[in-house]
Amino acid sequence: MSAPADPRLAAGGPALVTAEAPPRAERRRTIAILGNPNSGKSTLFNVLTRLRAKVGNYPGVTVEKKVGGCELPSGRRVDVIDLPGSYSLQPNSPDETIVRDVLLGLQDDTPPPDLIVFVVDATHVDRHLYLALQVLELGRPVVLALNMMDAVREQGITIHVEALERDLGVPVVPISAKKGEGIGDLRRTMDRDVEPSTRRFRQWPPHLQRVLHRLESRLPRHETLPDRARLDLALALLLDDGEDDQLARHAPPGVLDDARVLARRMDATSRGWRSDDVEGRYEAIEEIVRRAVTAPGGKQDRVRDRFDRVLTHRVLGPVLFVLIMGAIFQSVFAWAQPAMDLIDRAMRALGGGIEGVLPAGPVRSLLVSGIIAGVGATLTFVPQIAVLFFFLGVLEDTGYMARAAFIMDRLMGRVGLSGRSFIPLLSSFACAIPGVMATRTIDNRRDRLVTILVAPFMSCSARLPVYALLIGAFVPNVWVGFVTLPGITLFSMYLIGVLAAVGVAAVLKRTLMKGGRPLYVMELPPYRMPSWRSIFASVWERSMLFVKNAGSVILAVSIVLWFLASYPKGGPEAAALESRAQAAELAGRPAEGKQLKQEAAGVALENSFAGRVGRALEPAIRPLGFDWRIGIGLVTSLAAREVMVSTMATVFHLGNADEHSASLREELRGAVDPRTGRKAYSPLIGISLMVFYVLACQCMSTVAVVRRETNSWRWPIFMLVMMNVLAWMASFAVFQGGRALGLGS
Amino acid sequence: MNDPVDGIDPAALRTLDSLEPGESATIAHLAGEPANVRRIMELGLVPGTDVRLIRRAPLGDPIEFSVRDVRLSLRRIEAAGIRVSAR
Repeated sequence: MSAPADPRLAAGGPALVTAEAPPRAERRRTIAILGNPNSGKSTLFNVLTRLRAKVGNYPGVTVEKKVGGCELPSGRRVDVIDLPGSYSLQPNSPDETIVRDVLLGLQDDTPPPDLIVFVVDATHVDRHLYLALQVLELGRPVVLALNMMDAVREQGITIHVEALERDLGVPVVPISAKKGEGIGDLRRTMDRDVEPSTRRFRQWPPHLQRVLHRLESRLPRHETLPDRARLDLALALLLDDGEDDQLARHAPPGVLDDARVLARRMDATSRGWRSDDVEGRYEAIEEIVRRAVTAPGGKQDRVRDRFDRVLTHRVLGPVLFVLIMGAIFQSVFAWAQPAMDLIDRAMRALGGGIEGVLPAGPVRSLLVSGIIAGVGATLTFVPQIAVLFFFLGVLEDTGYMARAAFIMDRLMGRVGLSGRSFIPLLSSFACAIPGVMATRTIDNRRDRLVTILVAPFMSCSARLPVYALLIGAFVPNVWVGFVTLPGITLFSMYLIGVLAAVGVAAVLKRTLMKGGRPLYVMELPPYRMPSWRSIFASVWERSMLFVKNAGSVILAVSIVLWFLASYPKGGPEAAALESRAQAAELAGRPAEGKQLKQEAAGVALENSFAGRVGRALEPAIRPLGFDWRIGIGLVTSLAAREVMVSTMATVFHLGNADEHSASLREELRGAVDPRTGRKAYSPLIGISLMVFYVLACQCMSTVAVVRRETNSWRWPIFMLVMMNVLAWMASFAVFQGGRALGLGS
Repeated sequence: MNDPVDGIDPAALRTLDSLEPGESATIAHLAGEPANVRRIMELGLVPGTDVRLIRRAPLGDPIEFSVRDVRLSLRRIEAAGIRVSAR
C-alpha cells in the first residue's frame, strides 16, 4: 500500500525512471504543449516560439521532436516542446508512445516537463477532456488552455471558466491561438509557479485497483515521477502488449513478466477490464461539462455539413476528389518545373563561371562536375518538395485531407493499407522524395513503413526521359484503335509499377509486418481556413531539413560518381583523339573537331572506373539482354535516373544528345555487338530495359530520404536489395520469356 | 461496465454499421480486440453515449458518424462489433 502522495519525495533505491533531471536552479525550465490532434496546439506552439523551432527526431523512433524557445513576461527564457497530438496516454501509435514516455519520465533524452500547457478545443470540451484528465491525474503542474474561443462565441456556446477551474483544480485560460486572443494571459499564467491539481477523477473498479496497487508497490520511487503517476505506470505495464521498448528497458527485472501474468489472469476472469477506467473517466467528464458548458440546443446546420454533403457525396465526392488530386498533381509539375529549370540554369552558369576562372584540371573538374552537380541535384528537388508540402499543408489545415483518406480507404484497404497512404503514393508519381516525406501523416507504424517502401515503384518523372528514349528508339509509332503503340507502352510501364507496389505491399503486410488487426479510426475535423503563416513555415522547415539531411548524401554520391566516371583518365587512345580534335579546330574544321571530341569523351568514359564497372557487370546483365554500354548507364543512373540518357549519348559519341534526339535513337537501333556482328539491341531489349527502370532502386537521393524518415539504415538497404532483385527477375522474365515466345532477341 | 445489461443479449441488438444515414442510436456494448475496444471507447464511444450515423463513404466503407459532436470514421468491420439500441 502506498502512502498519500508527496511528489517531492526524495529518490531511493534502484531507479525505474532514469530520466535524470539536473537541479532546478541550473537547468532551463521546460514547458510541454500537449493536446488532441486538431486542438490547434501547433498554432499555439508557433505563436509562443515565434516560428523559430528546432526539429529533430526522438532517438530510435520516427517521431519528430520539436523544441523552441520562449521568453516569458518576467524575462525568464523557457524551452517549449511541442509533444505530438495524442488521444490517450494508453498509446495507439509511436507518436502517442512518446507522449506517454515523456510524461512518465521513461524517455531518456527528454526529461518530464516542469509545466504542461494542455490545449483543449473549447467547442468539443468533453472529448478533449479525456486526455486532459489522464494528464491531470499524473500529478504534474498543468495549465489548461481553452483554445478556439472565437468558434465558441460563433456557435453561441457559453463556458464557465471558474467552474472549470474549480472542478479541474488547475488554472484555465481562454485563448484563440489563431486570432491571438488571450495569449498574454496564458504567458503570464505560464510564468507562475503552478501547483499540480489535487482533484481525483478516476475510480478504479475494485478488482483492477487491487492488481494496480500490487504492481505499483513493486515499482521503486524516483524523484521525477510523482507518486500519483505510479498507478498510471502500473496500468501501462498491465496493458503493454509486448511491443513497448521503453517499458521493457526501464522496468525492474521480473515486474514486466508479473504484469503480463496478471493481465492474462484478468483477461480470463474479468472481461472488459482493459477499458474499465475509460467509462469512469467519461462519467467524471460529463459531470464537469454539465456544470461548466452551456451549448445552444438543436441541430445546427453548420458550414461544415454543407461542405461535407458535396465533398463526400456518393457521386460528386469522388469526382471532385479526382479533380482536386489532378489539379494538385498538375501544379506540382507546372509550378515546380520553371523553378527547377531556373536552378539548373543557375548551376550551369556557376559551372561556366568557374570554368572561366580556374585552369582545366582535377580541381576544376571536381568542382564543376562533382560538387556543383551534387549541390544542383539536391536543390533541384526543393521546388517539388516545396510545392507538394504547400498543398499537403493546405489539405491538412482545411480538413480535406481526412476526407480524401475517407474516400480512398476502401481501395487502399484491399492492399492492406489505409486511406492515408493514398496521397503520399500519388505524389510519388511526380517524385518519390516528397512522397516518402509525406508519409508522416500515417500514424500506424507498419502502414507507414510499407508505404515508404513501395512509393518508389510509382514511376517518377525522372524515369520519363529513359522511357521516352527507349520508346522513341524501339516502338513503332502506329495506331491501335484510339491510341498509339507508344502510348500503350508508356501506360504499361506505369501500370507495372502500380501492380508491383500493390503486390509488394500485400506480401510485406502478410510477412514482415504482421501484427494484430490495427484500428483504423480517423477524426474528420471541421473545415477551417488554412493558416498561411504556419504552412509557409512548415514548407520552409521541410525543405531545409531535406537539404541538410539528404543533401549531404546526395553530394557524397555525386562526388563518388564523378570520380568513377572521370578516372582513370582516357588513356592513349582518348588522348590521341583529343589532339586530333584540337588540330581539326585550329585548321578551321569545327564540325570534325566536335565529332572527334565526342569520340574522345566516349572512349574516356569506357576507360573510366564507371566504364570498367559497366563491363564487369556485363555477365550479370547479359541474361536481361543488356550489354556493357547499358551497364555503364546503370552505374551512372545511381546519381539520377535521367543521367542514363546523357550517358548513352556519350557512349555513342553523341555529346549533348537528349532523349528526343533522332541520331541517338538511330544509334541505339543500329548499334552492333562487336562479338557477334549482329544488332546489339532490339525492341524486346528496349522493353526489358524499361521494365528494369520501372522496378529498380537506383535513386540514391530516395535512399537518403528513406534513411532519414525511418531513422535507420535497415530499411533503405532492404529497399535497395528488394527492388533491384525484383527488377532483375522481371527483366529476365521479359527478355528470356520474350525470346522463348519468339518475340525477338 | 461494458457488459450485457438488464439481461438483454447484445446479439439481439443492432450494430453501428447497420444504421442508416441520419439515424441515431445509443451505444450499448462494444466487442472486438481489447486494445481496439479501449481506443474506440477512449474516443468517446462509451455505453450510454448517443451516436448518429452521418454517411457511408462513396465506396461503401468506412462509415462516418457523430459522437459528442465530433465526426469519426470507422471501418465497418470494427463498427460491426459495436451494438447499439436504436431510438
